[in-house]
Amino acid sequence: MKREAWVVMGAMLLGVPLLAQGKPLTVTGVRGVTFGAVLPGVPRVVLRTDPANSGQFDIKGPKGGPVLLSFVLPLTMTGPAGALMPIMFGASDAGFSATQSIGSQVGFDPRQPTTVIFPSNGNVSVFVGATANPGTNQRAGAYTGTIILTVTYL
Amino acid sequence: MRALGLAGMVVCASASLAAQGVMVAPHAVFIDHAQRSGSVLLYNPGTEPVEVTISTIFGYPTTDSTGGIKLDTLAADSSVSALPWIQAFPRRLTVGPRERQTIRLLARPPVELPPGEYWLRLVIAAQAGRVPISGVSDTTAIQVGLKLEVRTIIGVNYRKGPVTTGLSLSNLRAQVVGDSVITRAKLERRGNAAFIGMVRETITDSTGAVRAQRVGDSLVTSYQSPIGVYFTMEPRLATAIAAPGLRRGRYWLRYEVVAEREDLDPRVVLKAPAVRDSVQLVVP
Repeated sequence: MKREAWVVMGAMLLGVPLLAQGKPLTVTGVRGVTFGAVLPGVPRVVLRTDPANSGQFDIKGPKGGPVLLSFVLPLTMTGPAGALMPIMFGASDAGFSATQSIGSQVGFDPRQPTTVIFPSNGNVSVFVGATANPGTNQRAGAYTGTIILTVTYL
Repeated sequence: MRALGLAGMVVCASASLAAQGVMVAPHAVFIDHAQRSGSVLLYNPGTEPVEVTISTIFGYPTTDSTGGIKLDTLAADSSVSALPWIQAFPRRLTVGPRERQTIRLLARPPVELPPGEYWLRLVIAAQAGRVPISGVSDTTAIQVGLKLEVRTIIGVNYRKGPVTTGLSLSNLRAQVVGDSVITRAKLERRGNAAFIGMVRETITDSTGAVRAQRVGDSLVTSYQSPIGVYFTMEPRLATAIAAPGLRRGRYWLRYEVVAEREDLDPRVVLKAPAVRDSVQLVVP
């Protein structure tokens, strides 16, 4: 048996109320949104169906459990010497997959909260795309921002 | 047996979790006034340390004008807020690879606290999914990436003395839109504790035969949606009608709310009578 299984069982024996009140909920950031190199003045779109560049979160919870998914999305990304680059999220830039397959998603608007219910195996994935809009005089260098996914158990 | 089940689940989860995140258990905390304390286990199944920040907020699920579920974090009724007197600690911690840490919840309720249920939400924020941005040393190129952060919010319900709950159901309406049935109903909580349960919707035709609904790739005779009614809400539910759809005619939608939840231990789900109503569905 793997070590983490023993950890959980040990915690239960020590009285940590794991099963007394509910099962675990795990939210994992798997992959950030990667735009790679972009050209000044040329928007770069990453689709939520892009297997290499889209962002991915995996969520695991109890069967039949309801959660509210909500995002905090950046308006800009920050680069060298505080330079900014606008970023946009469209109405279908997020996708929910009850099978954790990037090819089987139900699109939703990441700007609005969405309720989902865990399927029988408790595993779901959320994919995110976005559009980076570098200006024509965009300063060279590395730009980054943060997408925050909040998973609220209802 | 349940212990082995959970252990097995964690083993399976850890096998697929190469990125950063944190496991939170349990997913809902119920504290009894006799104990006045609780705990939440954090486990890092990944291979890198996870920085975690813990905070508490007051909040409960409700619905917006369109029937969408939202978390109301405005202290509209502070008399049911446990925020001033339940503390969580530590507030910041680092959970090492394959390590666990415990968050303690300590309640110091006012002496004159009336019997009832009091709520807060525990927010667990973890840095996750670092984005490798290549070519940083190349000052002539523009490299762009977004990193990820995850927050998990779970409910904490503090119960003192006799707690009761119940529900009233009114203003049920339903309509067929495309291949879906859309319903809304007004749900008002009774008693002094949240109603935690399940909405069940069943469609029958004029002969009383049940018509199947679709959930994912499965066909079901009743659509089920978990719900928590803390004050009043009017949720919008959308269920898919199984192919080939409903023929022209009149149908009945039976709407039932029961105090049962498959994702929660039955010991923490307060018993309450089921409420039900029916409404006619017309397919033109």
